[in-house]
Amino acid sequence: MPNLKDIKRRIHSVESTMQITKAMELVASSKFRHARERAEAAQPFFEATYKLMAEIAAEDPFFNSQYVNPRTENGSALLIVIAGDRGLAGGFNSNVLRLAQSRIEEITAQGGTPLVMPIGQKAVDHFSRRDVKVLQTYDHVAEHASIYLAMDMADLILKNYKRHTSLQSVEILFTNYVSPILQVAERLQIIPLTDLPGSHPRRCAVEYDPSPEAVFDKLVPQYVAGLIYGAIVESFASEQAARRTAMENATDNATEMIDTLSLQYNRARQGAITQEITEIVGGANAQQ
Amino acid sequence: MSTFRLLIVTPDRTLFDGDVQEVIARTTEGDVGILAGHTRYAAILKTGALTVKMENNETRRAAVAGGVIKVSDEKTTVMSTAAEWAEEIDPDWAERSRRDAEMKIEAAKNEPDRLERANLKLQRALNRLSVHRGL
Repeated sequence: MPNLKDIKRRIHSVESTMQITKAMELVASSKFRHARERAEAAQPFFEATYKLMAEIAAEDPFFNSQYVNPRTENGSALLIVIAGDRGLAGGFNSNVLRLAQSRIEEITAQGGTPLVMPIGQKAVDHFSRRDVKVLQTYDHVAEHASIYLAMDMADLILKNYKRHTSLQSVEILFTNYVSPILQVAERLQIIPLTDLPGSHPRRCAVEYDPSPEAVFDKLVPQYVAGLIYGAIVESFASEQAARRTAMENATDNATEMIDTLSLQYNRARQGAITQEITEIVGGANAQQ
Repeated sequence: MSTFRLLIVTPDRTLFDGDVQEVIARTTEGDVGILAGHTRYAAILKTGALTVKMENNETRRAAVAGGVIKVSDEKTTVMSTAAEWAEEIDPDWAERSRRDAEMKIEAAKNEPDRLERANLKLQRALNRLSVHRGL
């Protein structure tokens, strides 16, 4: 029979753990709400940018931009990998890092060189332990991500894309928020912009100042920054949702454990009382 | 006077969405005025002021930190990385960021990348100050 004191101590320990998981659950849900609001606020800007880019590409039959034309090379790619700054979020970090790792292997197998830009402490740590070329690292930026930071990132990325003609594509690996219980690690190609609606010149002349290419090229950094910003905010929302679920489960487990331990404790206590009574009765009988 | 729909969007919010009479914007090729029924048009905006004549004849000015303006049949869209109305601008903050930018320019003399960014920052701060003063 377990010692009463030991059980009591375990109950206390589980209770204090539960307080922590409960608090983390609440913090995660409040951070999650803010992240969703930010993601939604950025939407109209991003949509307007994308729409105009698509229009330029579709309307101008002579349209030609370095960001649209695919490069035929050996498959080298720049991967922007977004993970969290902290752990204790279920499979959030490991899912996106696993996706990145398998993409890196794929690129290497094709004879290309992967180049990585990790965002978030966990991603930075992951790639610092591995033999991969890292362009630039960013940690602890997701919670207070600003569009200006994303613009700096976009400038850096586009500069590298222009400079290194061996880079075939720029891809972003992030976690898409599907529902409170489902977040999926995904890969999205940013450059070249191959998914713009096809060129079917319609006769509705738009006057571009100074030229369609100039307007388009001005939009590309905005578009890339918008994508990065969106992916960071979306990943952050996913991280919080994942942490909330993980902590909810932890809290549930703790409650269950406390119930079991309380039952054990009460049984042990009852056993002890029964034994004491038996001893008293036995003692009294012996005296008669 | 006839009106048209104007939409001013930045990454963190929609600054304005409503009907207006006239928009004057500063593009890289010069100032353009847009009235209802303007031809389809798109241009790059410089960091500068955006003047809007509202439906009720009130004129409002906004500081715009570069971007793109696009006129289509159904609406005119201004996409900018940052935009705020003159009355929203905090002159103390703008003044501080002007001084900050000047310091950065001083510090980044030999680095063209950082110098360029500091210069843009200075332009934004000066633009905010001048739009605020024009109230």
